[in-house]
Formats: sequence, C-alpha cells, structure tokens
Amino acid sequence: MTRLDAWHLPGVDAAGVREWTERELVDGLTLRTPVPEPAALARVIDHIRTARERSLAHRPVQDIVAVIDEAAARLQRPDDPRRALAERALPALTGYSPPMIRLILDRMLADWRKDALETMLEAEFGDPLVLDRFRPGPAGGRIRAFGPELAFHIFAGNVPGVAVTSLVRSLLVKAATLGKTASGEPLLPALFARTLAEVDPELGACLAVTYWPGGSAAPEEVAFRAADTVVVYGGAAAADDVRRRVPADTRLVVHGPRLSFGVIGREALREAEVERTATAAAYAVATFDQQGCVSPHAMYVEEGGEVGPRAFAERLADALARVQEELPRGRISPEEAATIHQLRGAAEFRRIAGADIALHEGPGTLYTVIYDADPAFAPSCLNRVVWVKPLPELGDVVNAVRPFAALLQTAGVAGAGDRLLDLAERLGRIGVSRVTDLERMPWPPPTWHHDGRGPLRELVRWTDLDE
Amino acid sequence: MLDQEGMALRAELFRLFEGPIDEPLDDDVFDSLARRIFQYQFTHNAPYAAYCRRRGRFPEDVAHWTEIPAVPTAAFKEVPLVCGDPGDAEAVFRTSGTTAGPERRGEHHILDLSVYHASLTPNFAAYLCPDGTGLPMLSLMPPVAQMVDSSLAHMISVVVDRLGGEGSGYYAAVGSGIDLEGLHGALERFTAEGTPVCLLGTTLAFVHWLDALRERGIRYALPPGSRLMDTGGSKGRRRIVQEDELRREYAERLGIPADHCVNEYGMTEMCSQFYDSVLRDRVRGRAGGVRRKVPPPWVRTRVVDPDTLAPVRPGEVGILQHFDLANLGSVMAIQTEDIGREVEGGFQVLGRAAGAPPRGCSIAMDLLLEAVEGLGR
Repeated sequence: MTRLDAWHLPGVDAAGVREWTERELVDGLTLRTPVPEPAALARVIDHIRTARERSLAHRPVQDIVAVIDEAAARLQRPDDPRRALAERALPALTGYSPPMIRLILDRMLADWRKDALETMLEAEFGDPLVLDRFRPGPAGGRIRAFGPELAFHIFAGNVPGVAVTSLVRSLLVKAATLGKTASGEPLLPALFARTLAEVDPELGACLAVTYWPGGSAAPEEVAFRAADTVVVYGGAAAADDVRRRVPADTRLVVHGPRLSFGVIGREALREAEVERTATAAAYAVATFDQQGCVSPHAMYVEEGGEVGPRAFAERLADALARVQEELPRGRISPEEAATIHQLRGAAEFRRIAGADIALHEGPGTLYTVIYDADPAFAPSCLNRVVWVKPLPELGDVVNAVRPFAALLQTAGVAGAGDRLLDLAERLGRIGVSRVTDLERMPWPPPTWHHDGRGPLRELVRWTDLDE
Repeated sequence: MLDQEGMALRAELFRLFEGPIDEPLDDDVFDSLARRIFQYQFTHNAPYAAYCRRRGRFPEDVAHWTEIPAVPTAAFKEVPLVCGDPGDAEAVFRTSGTTAGPERRGEHHILDLSVYHASLTPNFAAYLCPDGTGLPMLSLMPPVAQMVDSSLAHMISVVVDRLGGEGSGYYAAVGSGIDLEGLHGALERFTAEGTPVCLLGTTLAFVHWLDALRERGIRYALPPGSRLMDTGGSKGRRRIVQEDELRREYAERLGIPADHCVNEYGMTEMCSQFYDSVLRDRVRGRAGGVRRKVPPPWVRTRVVDPDTLAPVRPGEVGILQHFDLANLGSVMAIQTEDIGREVEGGFQVLGRAAGAPPRGCSIAMDLLLEAVEGLGR
C-alpha cells in the first residue's frame, strides 16, 4: 500500500505527527494528513510568517514567478513522480475520468507558467514592480502595493487546479499562505506545494497546505485569528459561516458558486458551421462534467438560422456522444444519477402534457440534451445534462437569465457577428463577468477578472507617496 | 370513478389488505394482479400510456411485472397521473415543495379514498400496534383540516380515528407549530396513569420538539410500551447516521427505547407506506435482525442500477422502485429518487437525491430555485 502525503507543513516532521487522518483510495493508494492540533497549527503559522518576513516579503516578484514556473514545468513532465501520482490518484478522488484529469492538469499547469503569470501581473498592476518597491503612479508621486502578511485559503469543490491557482495568486503578492484543502480534491495543492518547496525551499517555507474537515472550529479559530486575509471558496452557507467567525477587520474574499450559459446566434448555425458550434458546445458541457462554475447549464439558440434550436439540440447530443469517446464522463453518485432520471422523466411528462420538448438521452446517464421551447432559464442537475432553449433574437437571452443575475458568470457566445459588442454590454450590465466563445468557455485565462474582480488587486493594499 | 374491471381489481385489493401482512404473495399471484392493474392503467391513464408507448411497452408484451415501466416521481409535478378524469378525484395530495423552492408541487390524485384507507390501516397496525391497538395517539402533525393537501396528515387522521385510543389528539397547528404545553400536560397525565402512548410526526417535528425539551431541561420517562413513528429525513444527510443519533435522544429524552421507534418511509405519490420492522419483530420474538423496511404483500420494491436502471445484485446499492398495487387509480410503478439496498426480509433507505450538492463550483439546482424565489420577493 502506498501512503500519499496530502499535506505540506513547514516545520512539521512526519515522524513527530501524533495522529493521522487516512483516506483509502482505490488500488492500494491511501491519502494521509496530520490531524490538526491547534498548537501545532499555530507553530506552522509562525513558521511561514517568519519565513515570509525573512525572505518572501523582500524577494522580487520576478523571482517568485520563476519558482512557480519551474514547479509547474516539473508537474507538466509525464515522468515527474508527482505528476504520475496526480494522474493516478485524482480520478479516484474526484470522480473525473483519467483523460479528463490529464486535460485539466495540462490546461491548468499552463496557467502557472512564466508567460501566463507575467501577463496576469501586467493585466492586474500595469507595472508589476509596484509589488517590489515604490513606482511612479499614474498621477505623479509613487505607489506601492503590499500583499497580506498571512492569507488563509479555504477551498471547496473537486475541480483540480482551482485551489492551486488561488495559492499562486497569494504567493505572487508575497503573502505567507495557508491553504485548507477540500475533501473533494485535497491532493493537487499539496503536490504543488511540495514541488515548489523542492524547487525553492525558501519559498516553500512560506506556504502551508493541509486538510481538515471544513468547519472544524479549533484549527480554524487559530487560522482566523492569525490571518489578515481570508479567501473562501464554497456556497453561501459556508461563506456566511466564515463571515461570522473572522474578525471584522480581516479582509474576506469570497468565491461563491456561479452559473454559466451558452448563447448561439444564426451565424454559427449555418450548415457549414453548425458541426463546429455543436462540438464546441459539447466540450463546454463535458469539461469538468459540468461541475465547474464556467460550465453551461443551458444553450440559448437563436431561431431563424439554417439549423433551428430544435435541430441543434440533436446535433449537440451527437457531439456529446463523440466527446464521450475522448473525454469519458466520470463516476457519479447514485443520488446524482437518480436526479438525472427524475429530470428526464419530468421533461418527458411535460412533453406528453403538450409542451414543446424533445429529449435526447445518451446510454445510461452519460449525457442528456433537453430541447424546451419555454425560454425561462432552467437549472441543470449537472453531469452533462444541458437544456437547449430557443431565442427569437439573440438579445432576448438577457431577459431569460435576468432572474439569476446575482449568480451569473460566463456567457459562451457563438455566431453573434457584429452584435457581439452590444450583447456583451447588455450581459455585463446584469452581472455576467465573462463573455467568451464556446471553445474558451471552460478555460478562463489567468488575466480574467475572476467573478468580475481583480484576482491579485483584491489581495493587496496600497501605499501612496506624494513627492 | 372505477369501471367494471377497476371495481373487480378493487375487490381483489381489499382481500389482500385483509390478508396476513407477513406472508409475501406468491410471485404468480402478485404478477397476475400487477399486470391486470398495468393493463387497467394503460387503458385509463393517458399520459402514462404515452410514456409506456414511447418505451415500446404494451400490456400484451409485458410478460412479468418487472417489465412494467416505472414513472419517476418528478412526473407527478408535470401532469395529473390518474385513471380517468382528474376532476373525479376524491382527494389530491400534494408534495410539500419545501426542499425545492418554488418548484411545482407534485400532485397525487386519489380516485377512491376507501382503497387508500383500507391499505394504510392494517399496515400501520401491524408495525406500530403489533401488540394490540387502542393506545392514545398523540400527533405532532396538525389535524388534516389544516393541511388538506398533505398525505401524511391524512394518513395520521385515519390511524388516529381508527386505531387510536381514549385521549388521542393533535398537538400542533399550522402557523404556531407544536403545542408544547398541551403535549406536556398530556404526557404527564398519561405517565401518571401509567398509560403507554404512541407519538406520531415528521422527523423534523421530533427534532424541533427535542430541541425545545433540551432547552427547558425537560425529560420524560414515558410508560413502558410507549412508541413513536417518525417519518422523512433531514435534507442532504445520510439518513442512517442521523437516525442513530436521533434514536439515542428518543431514549434519553422520552424514555422510548430504539426498538419502539419506528421510522415510516412513504411518499405523496404512493398510497402504501413502509415501516421499520423493529417493534413487530420484538413483539413476535424475532428481534435482533438489521433495521429494515418491510413492504406489505401488495407492494414489491426493487433496487435498480443508478445508471442503467437494470436490477442490481441483492445487497448492492441502487435507486428504489416501488410497485404499489394500492395505487390502483394512478400509477402503480414508481421510480423514486431514493437510494437504498435490499437486506434480508426487506430493504434500507440510505439517502435521498434531493439536496445532493454539486461536487464542483457550479450551483445546485435546489439552491438556484431558492435563489430565484428570494430575488422575486
């Protein structure tokens, strides 16, 4: 049996750990993390804060970029032992199929390479050297950005890479960084942290990653008291819980669950185009098995094109069948499967009752496309279940999704032609934070204003120097 | 309104309801009745027939009851599933709709309440009153007059009327919740008299009540033989763990031992119910087996593969399908969103799909519907 250490805690020696939490995966792999004793966690926090004060706080941001880049490069190599471990363990941990895990790892790792990180720094700060020293400001004088002394991240969900991206952002602004992983994906953040520490022990000493069950009061109290910034991923209930427990002057950054959808105009529905459009839509649905906040629940399809919405639904189902060959859907729970059967059944009986509905089902529960002439937005139960809804005019999508304005995130748009700018304006107005094409829908660039905000800027505070 | 075949089937069902509750029907007997009911429902329930036709299942091709198409419970939210005119229904039971926000509520049209009443009474009596009826029944559910839509309120009113003894009553009201004072008085009185009682309510009501008792530092030692029936789980949690904790509290706070705590599993879309066999086993000297739900002879429960809906091997976890002959006037074959497994002599319910959160960073359907309801206010 192989024991996988799903933690990275500077100053903690495995031999000195009194109690372990172990979790058995398939094929003889067991994950272990130390049971967090508040006193031990406090020592880890001291350790990473001291290390930051000694080194990270004074290191040029270019230096940090170089270390992260090298760690990502190592994890990109197929023969890297940690990469191999990730490929072996993540399917069992997250439920995603091995090809899906490989795809996610490749796409995510590219975001942590030098070019991507530099682009993000420039997009966020214009002059990233503000993280190193006072630099000329836009209105005369000088400005300087300071990251948190200690950022405590609480992760959620099972999408590999989301947590690492958060850790990377935190390190770029030179924060001592403590990450509490989610039970859905406790591994990759630890593998990343260990790789980073191997590349550069000094930076590795400023970063701690481990797991405990979310909401555990004792370790979280310690971390909440110590951190000046808390980054929390998860639902409204988790965010509210954290909000109640952190001191009032702590900066709180919340990434809640979000909702995305597709919008397809006539130009993308020409016979010559529609195959490509359907394929791109199918990948957007299939990626992360639709569990991502970037994953579309519904495709809004404009009427009057060469291929209409009803026929498009069929094309989309065919495309999902093809995508299944390349990116098989992962394992789902019996409850999730039961929900898919219920949703299909409800749609079928609505059709029987006279609604204009067409149902396309893959074998078992592998994929489901429901064409429904009712334009009202309908949530999907996920795991590759997608609605196709008709739009008389592309812009009508705005009214359809408006009731969910507070939750909207990505709109994947195809075939809007010269109406794109106007559509983006109207979607932006109600709260959509990203308008992109269907191909790029699952993979927001590192420069993206994550949920409409500045992912690095929201971590820093500024000092202005008037001269 | 039942036609001649419907009346004949009704008569057969009444004979079953009066028969021995512990003896499963021969498969031949169940099969022949199930297929006749399928034929009847195919003929009279147009939406169901359309569903079957789409699956290529016609009564003449169905060789065994296991081939009868099961209807997902969500269908009851979309269309009246009734044999004949929905307007002829003697009652319409509606799902609560509380776990799914403003989602449409499921409706179960009951054409003939007498079938419903005749099926529920012997089943309840067998599992809650195996040692004889006549205990005072104290309901934590409001009287049915305040909750005309609720199949549970209706069921409780029937058992209280037919099986409850002197001093039975309702200790909750819509709007004001549980009548703590009234219930306290009644329990003190019955305890002083040494009269065992039967408490009835939703699991949630019991949880609220226990919380209130804990706050006030009240503990009862109800007379031996006292028992309770709770029903429904708490959202999104694995039921078995939750029930264990709860049963410890029932023992500590009420003095009702675990083998007198009978969990009922039922649904608006089904006329029949399932009960834990603990109390019946205990009274009949067969205690010691695993806690399980036992279908009455007129119900068959199947566990099917969550993906393919093919039957699983005995003991494997899957989706529960129930074939409830007492659903004569609606649809007999029901596919639930409940997860369970077969055990010796019955089955166990392990979870319900409602409330299962997404694993990633997208949002759960239930939450979305709640969110839109919140925004609409």
